Formats: sequence, C-alpha cells, structure tokens
Amino acid sequence: MINVDVEKTASRGIAAGPAYKYQETDLSPDTYLSEETAEEIKKFEDSRDQVIHELEHLAEKHEIFAAHLEMAGDFMLQEGVVSKIQSGQYNAQQSVHTTIEEIAAIFAGMDDAYMKERSADIADVGKRIMAKLKGVRLPDLGGLDHEAIVVAKDLYPSDTVKIDPAYVKGIITEEGGITSHVSIMAKSMNIPTLVGVKGIMEQIQDDTVVCMDARAGKIVIDPDESTWQEYTRKNQEYLQERARLEKLRNQPAVTKGGKRVSLCANIGNLEDLKHALVMNIDGVGLFRSEFLYMENDHFPTEEEQYKVYKEAATLCPSEVTIRTLDIGGDKKLPYFQFDVEENPFLGWRAIRISLDMKDMFKEQLRAILRASAYGHVRIMFPMIISPSELQEAKGLVEECKAELSEEGHAFDPNIETGMMMETPASVMLAEEFAKEADFFSIGTNDLTQYLLSVDRGNKKIAKRYDSFHPAVLKAIKQIIDAGHKENIKVGMCGEMAGDAKAVSILAKMGLDEFSMSAGSIDYARELILQAE
Amino acid sequence: MVSKKLIVNNASGLHARPAGVLAQAAGKCSSDVKIYVGERKIEAKSILNIMAAAIKKGTEIEIQCIGPDEEKDMDKLVELIESGLGE
Repeated sequence: MINVDVEKTASRGIAAGPAYKYQETDLSPDTYLSEETAEEIKKFEDSRDQVIHELEHLAEKHEIFAAHLEMAGDFMLQEGVVSKIQSGQYNAQQSVHTTIEEIAAIFAGMDDAYMKERSADIADVGKRIMAKLKGVRLPDLGGLDHEAIVVAKDLYPSDTVKIDPAYVKGIITEEGGITSHVSIMAKSMNIPTLVGVKGIMEQIQDDTVVCMDARAGKIVIDPDESTWQEYTRKNQEYLQERARLEKLRNQPAVTKGGKRVSLCANIGNLEDLKHALVMNIDGVGLFRSEFLYMENDHFPTEEEQYKVYKEAATLCPSEVTIRTLDIGGDKKLPYFQFDVEENPFLGWRAIRISLDMKDMFKEQLRAILRASAYGHVRIMFPMIISPSELQEAKGLVEECKAELSEEGHAFDPNIETGMMMETPASVMLAEEFAKEADFFSIGTNDLTQYLLSVDRGNKKIAKRYDSFHPAVLKAIKQIIDAGHKENIKVGMCGEMAGDAKAVSILAKMGLDEFSMSAGSIDYARELILQAE
Repeated sequence: MVSKKLIVNNASGLHARPAGVLAQAAGKCSSDVKIYVGERKIEAKSILNIMAAAIKKGTEIEIQCIGPDEEKDMDKLVELIESGLGE
C-alpha cells in the first residue's frame, strides 16, 4: 500500500476502483525495407485518406479537428512523405514519422506561443496516420466499457470530450493545475479529479486498485483491506450525499426565512452551460466571455461571438449575464502582445482595455445585443472605478443599438447593463453607481485582493487572503444596501458565493443572486434552503 | 508569369484561419502559386507552409502565378487577401 499526498485539489468527491492508464501506444516506425516505392506511396495515401475520412466526422463536432483535417490533406505533408519514399531510403512509416517531426520542429521553434502550440496539432495528425499504417488503435477514452479511475500524463480537450461519467469515476493527471482545462471540465462534470500528481504514471499499472479523495488530496495505491473498506464507505457516503442533493434540485432556492434568491451558474463556454442547466439553475450570473478570446488564434469576430451568445441565450430559459472582455492581470491572449507591467492587477486590464480599443469592444457589444433577441441577456462591465467609465460603456451600447436598428438587426431594446463590484472605488461610490447601473454583481476574488492589498497568487501571504475579513464583509453589506436603496438586484459571482461558510451570512445580508461554478450549485442549494 | 506585391493586413498575421482560407483558394487555382516573403519561397497551396512562415501584419508579400489562367487566378487571390481572408 502506498500513500500519495496531493497539494493542489481541483474538485470534491471520492472514488475507488481499478486504474485505467491512458497512455500512448507504440507508434515508432517499423524498420522494414521498402522495395516497391509505388506501393509504399499507396500505403501512405490510403492511410491518410482514412484519417481524412475520420477527421471529417470529428470536425462536425469540434472545430479543432477542422484544422487537423486541413493539415492531414496538406501539400507540404504529401510532398515531404512522397519525396522521402522516392529517395528509396525510407519506408512509408519512416517517411511519415520523419516528415511530421520536421514540420512539428518548424512550428515548435517559433517565438509565437500560438504557433508553438500548433506543433502539437501536427503531431496529433501524424499519430493518426502512423496508427493506420501500423494497423494499431489509438488509446480512446470513449472506448472504456467498465468503471475505472483514469490515470494520464495529461488530458487534452480532444480526450475529455470523449469522457463518459458513467464509466470514468475519477481522474488523476501528472500535469496541469487547478485552473487547467482538465480541472474545469472535471468540476463541471462532477468527477473527482486530482491534477499535478508527478510520477503517478510510474506507480500505477492498468487495473491497479486505487482509492482517491479529491477534496482531501489523498491517493492510496494498492490499499490494504481496511483502507479499501474505509474508502468504499466514504464513497458510499459521497454517492448518498450526491443523491440527496440531486433530489433537492427541483426545489426553488428559498431560504427558511422565505426569501427567494437566484441560484445561478458561472460559465466559460456552452459546455459549462449544458452541465449547469441539468442542475435547475435560475440563470447564468457570469458568462466569462474571455474564454472566447483566450482559446482562439485571433480576436473573435462579431459573427463568431454572436453565434455563441445566441446559442447560450437560446439554451438558457432564464437570464444570461455576459461579462465583457476581462483580460490583462493574469489573463493574456496568445495573439496579442501585452506590454510587461510592474503591477498587472493594477494595470491595463478589463474595461480599461475595452474603452481604449473601441472597435474591438463594439464588436463584442454588437454580438451581445444581437443575441439578446433570442433570450434574456444582460451586459456586465468588469473593473469599473468611475461613473464616467460606466457612462462611456453604456454610451457605446446605445451607439451599437442605433447602428443595429439602422441595419435592421433585432435586439432587446431594454437590455439591462450592470457592473462588477470588485474595486474599492466601486464600493465607496456604490450609491452613485446604483443610480446608473441596472444590477450589481460582487466579484469577491478581486474585491478581497484589492481591499486587503493581498496578492491572491502569492503563497507567502495566502493566509492573509480572507474573504471573511471584516473589511470585506462590511464592503459586501454596503454594496447590497446601496443597490437595494435604488431597487436594483445585487448578486455575487466570486468563489465566496458557493462557500459553505458564506452562504447563510450572505443570505442574511440580503444578497439576491448567488452565482458559482456548476460543481458547487447542488451544495449551495442545500445551504440556501437551510439558511435563516 | 504574373506577380504582385501586397501588404498583409490581418490583425494577427497569417495564422491558422486566414492561412487555411488562402491555401484553399490557391488549391482551387489551376496556376502554380507561390508566395515570396523576402528570400523565402512558400507553396501557397500548403496551409502548413504558409503558417510556418509566420507572416505578421504589415509584412510585404509577393504572389506569383504561373499557368494558362494566371491573370484570373491572380485577381482572385489579390481580392481575397485584400478583403482580409474571411476575417
């Protein structure tokens, strides 16, 4: 029995069962001598065509595969492989292997972060062709047919789309942090997950029995009888807790005191929304539009954004609050050069960028407005410190409305515009802002860091980062009171809104809307139902 | 042979999407299409080749078409690049 402690935990839950090691099959080229070049070329072309056929299907579901499809059919790849076969020195497998390595190396050597990452796409296409040539199957999470704990070096979006929560009971990866793709995905699917567990692949074989506690950050490999019993018992408790919470889902979020509050989801993309909708949410309190910008290779166009916002508005029967671009600070774009700043969190970020880059900002506002014709959409501005900023942003919304009317586009003329309350200045001026804004949403992560002057990324002072500090609680109360004085709703979309210790305090203060990641919603509903 | 010099105007240069649009359009041309960036020669029908050149906004490129329909193909490609390659 081996115990492993994990420092970073990304989700809750307990799992116990056999491991399924998700790892590469051997795709190194066989070394047979090629005799007939025409036959080798045909082997390559047949395999490639099968891959193109496969990718055509995948591309219908995921955009990433459209790029892979282009690459598989590319002239440069074809030329490289065919010329190597014709040289007589390489067989088809060696030619593909070498050509892919050459092309991937060109991309990997570029300065541009985006281009660097493309080398992984090319390698991915190469693997598919190699697997066909060698007649082997690539590892496939979608093919899993029994309950298991998936152990991998890392999981990519192309892997996680295939995960079936009926079989994947837990996930352990060597790479990745708590904000990585795997963690976010696992949270929204409610799968216990531990990331950044170095060396785990060497310690575990296929079907090795593994117990994991995602909340406590514990893994036990080859547990002894009593440990196995303990985890199966804890797992039973966890499953019972899940079942109990799922039963509460059809109950509206009303406190014991009789106050109906909104229980909403924070989402970053449409997948998140689909997971959240299952939990009977009262709306989307925060749609982080920056994911559209960050997981992209260019500033998303109005059309591209419109499609996503429209689908969100259509899918969600209640309000969808779209926060305009919030980058800068710790969030960068692969295709845009930010100057290095001494204090990025006090620097050029969020609404400051949007108001400086009006054309880009207006594309986003137009996209949101057009989507508002299809549901209940609200616009939220981040990082506001002055009423003049809010007025300027609202002015641009009006400008966009006028343009859209002239062009004959439909939109909701009464669309609500609100703001994040996350700067000390917005707290001091909350009463003034309440006269201008249609709603408030408290962003506790930034508010705490700014009010307490504590960098939330700095481990040395992590203990001082405390959303329950009296200064923060007092600020929250002031914001709620200021909002209510002007009859506007006040929500919260920071981590605190789903915190077990905070929910009843916030409900008591009169908070109207609690918005959090989908994984916390079931828990928060129970807490709200129990709150005075 | 016809050739023409152009400036790339796409905000993030010829990254995947515009490179794909260009490679597809060049693929439909009956002419042999090459792009020259300084000393570098690029096969316009290859998205990988175009992307690998990492052409940034503001870069001057020279398009060259050779074939019976070279004039027509050139006009088509120039128009496409000037219109921003679908962006």
